[in-house]
Amino acid sequence: MNTSNLIPRLLMTIAAALVGLSLVAVRAWSQDGLRLKPGAKGELCLKCHADFDKILKKSSVHPLLKKGDCSGCHTPHTSDHAGLLATGITKLCSSCHQAVVPEKPKSAHQIVYQGNCKKCHDSHASDNPFLLAKAGNALCLECHPDISEIVQKAAFKHDPLRKENGCLNCHAPHASPEQRFLLKDAPPALCKNCHKTGEPDFARKHMNFPVSESSCTSCHDPHGSASRSILLANTHTSVRDGKCMDCHLAPEPQAPPRTKRQGIELCRECHQKMVDEAMGKNRLHWPLAARRGCLSCHAPHGAKKEKLLSGPIAAVCGECHADTLKLQQWSIRNPKNEDLCEPVKTGNCIVCHAPHASDNVLLFSQPSINSGLCGRCHNWNTHSTHPLGDKVIDQRNPNLTLDCLSCHKSCGTGNKPSMLHYATTYELCVQCHTERTR
Amino acid sequence: MLVPALFSPPIVFGKAIQFRHRLSIYSDGRNGGLKHPEGIACGDSAGLVVADSGNGRLLRYVFEKNALNPAATVFEVPQLVYPVKIEISAKGDMYVLDGRQRRIIRLGSDGSFRGYLEPQGVPGGNRHVPRSFSLGADDKIYILDILSERVLVLNPDGGYVKQVDFPEKFGFFSDLTVDDRGNILIVDSIDNMLFSARDTAARVSPLTSALKQYMRYPAGITTDARGRIYLVDRNGGQVVILGQDGSYLSRQSTFGWKEGHLNFPAQACINEQNEVFIADTLNSRVQIFQIIE
Repeated sequence: MNTSNLIPRLLMTIAAALVGLSLVAVRAWSQDGLRLKPGAKGELCLKCHADFDKILKKSSVHPLLKKGDCSGCHTPHTSDHAGLLATGITKLCSSCHQAVVPEKPKSAHQIVYQGNCKKCHDSHASDNPFLLAKAGNALCLECHPDISEIVQKAAFKHDPLRKENGCLNCHAPHASPEQRFLLKDAPPALCKNCHKTGEPDFARKHMNFPVSESSCTSCHDPHGSASRSILLANTHTSVRDGKCMDCHLAPEPQAPPRTKRQGIELCRECHQKMVDEAMGKNRLHWPLAARRGCLSCHAPHGAKKEKLLSGPIAAVCGECHADTLKLQQWSIRNPKNEDLCEPVKTGNCIVCHAPHASDNVLLFSQPSINSGLCGRCHNWNTHSTHPLGDKVIDQRNPNLTLDCLSCHKSCGTGNKPSMLHYATTYELCVQCHTERTR
Repeated sequence: MLVPALFSPPIVFGKAIQFRHRLSIYSDGRNGGLKHPEGIACGDSAGLVVADSGNGRLLRYVFEKNALNPAATVFEVPQLVYPVKIEISAKGDMYVLDGRQRRIIRLGSDGSFRGYLEPQGVPGGNRHVPRSFSLGADDKIYILDILSERVLVLNPDGGYVKQVDFPEKFGFFSDLTVDDRGNILIVDSIDNMLFSARDTAARVSPLTSALKQYMRYPAGITTDARGRIYLVDRNGGQVVILGQDGSYLSRQSTFGWKEGHLNFPAQACINEQNEVFIADTLNSRVQIFQIIE
């Protein structure tokens, strides 16, 4: 007998047996052959768990529970998981419901991604369809307070929100294979399911501009708004007043809308003072002069954020300055940074930086670091007995004076305490006080 | 604790290249300190020219018996407000990008004003915004035009030669250089990528993938005589060295204040003696390193 073949075959047999065992593990308790009493898979459980009488009367009951198969999810004896579940809830639900998330979706609901199915569904029964814990939009809005606020305040609500299915008219609850924000389709295709773009009224409302292929959400807030046309909370005055021709050339059939001028030159027609002021500074935020100009940061028609910013400040800046944003976010998570500077904590970059242009380095909005920038919030004169100020020369460099940034880094320093450049006070001090080096 | 990839140490492979700090320049030699210099150019006969941006002037240092004479010649040109990048032509003329006016100014080797560089005969008009520029070996001028998203190639007199279009997808181009073979190299600060265009190409294309593991925000680029590429990582306070094909070789220096360290460096240049000159902007000095192989 050839023993050299025997060992690998034996190992393969053992491996196959282990794989087989693991595959049946979850549902092992429901297998016959264990001389189980009748009803051991579920009916017996209900004798002790009397509260299930009420649960079973609900309109929507989990199919396994309905057929009395508690062992489909629970183990009867012991478990490493709460509720004697056969495995973690993520694996447990997805072992039957794997199809709810498509492969490589463009967007997925965070709680689905985390496997927290119970956040929305009751695992046993509910009076709502799909075992949902709450009915209608309330379930979604309790976790999305920003959207909830818009919906609550909106004088004019988007119709689908009031119709049956609410949020789910536009969004998929678990994941979207192709779209961001769990959308069922991309605007304008999604919007055109209800809004007939070919009708004369649609053209009239849009000043005859061929917007049927434009993104509707660049002007409209799909959750509702204070304006009849559910325009975004912050709308460009020209859009609000229906003066599209302030910026655009007269519409041409079938041609995409064209602007009168390119980049910042277009915006300068109205925002001349701001543009000229920026252009007169030593240091320009270069994207301002690039092809997209102001649109590098601002939305041309409308935005949820003030000043038509295309997103929260940190997110807008972070689009290009991802390395700095990473540092800021790392600093926020650092428990040693209890006294993290407020603008860093909130991602409010423009407290210190001028977003358009500046005569100062790093586009600082003030020439003086101590009194101009940090001094607005911190009393640097009483901060330390260490000499600081414009007359105190940095020992390392005759061209530098000591300011807050000599020790601290303004955008955060990751895992170092108090936004210091170095991890320990010792390391910091010996940068200059080399004679103290141990 | 897991350290984000952004700050992880580099994997060094290929031939080791190191910088050895030689000298730092702090003043014009007359007790006038440098202030936030952003531009630097080096030429054998022209010496070293520094765009002392914060002081709105140019400084020329010359080498005497292989040593730098610390007393600089100061050029204060009324037409030049805020110099941010400088190049020296084969004839010794100085081309300077003014960050405030966003125009390229031509100066004689004696600092005399020769005029603004006005591109002539550009198809579709002369509207352009030079984010940076470079001079080729034949003194052709390559302008990184961020308004029309192209590289404008001009004769020394400003006459239009051709344009090379930006690619369809890119982050933000901060600087360009032209190597000895006439290839255009452009650094994308946002995507941490290098783009290139051969002499005959009509469009710039990627030379590397994203190099985020090696750098934070590269905003300056230069090459040495062997075609190696040096990227000045502004936010990272370092220089990342790539091979001609864009392969990673090494990275040198680090963020800091001590001599040899960099704080928000801008332009760099390399002379024939394999010396690297770096405008160390926030340290308000120029640093000189010797390349050691």
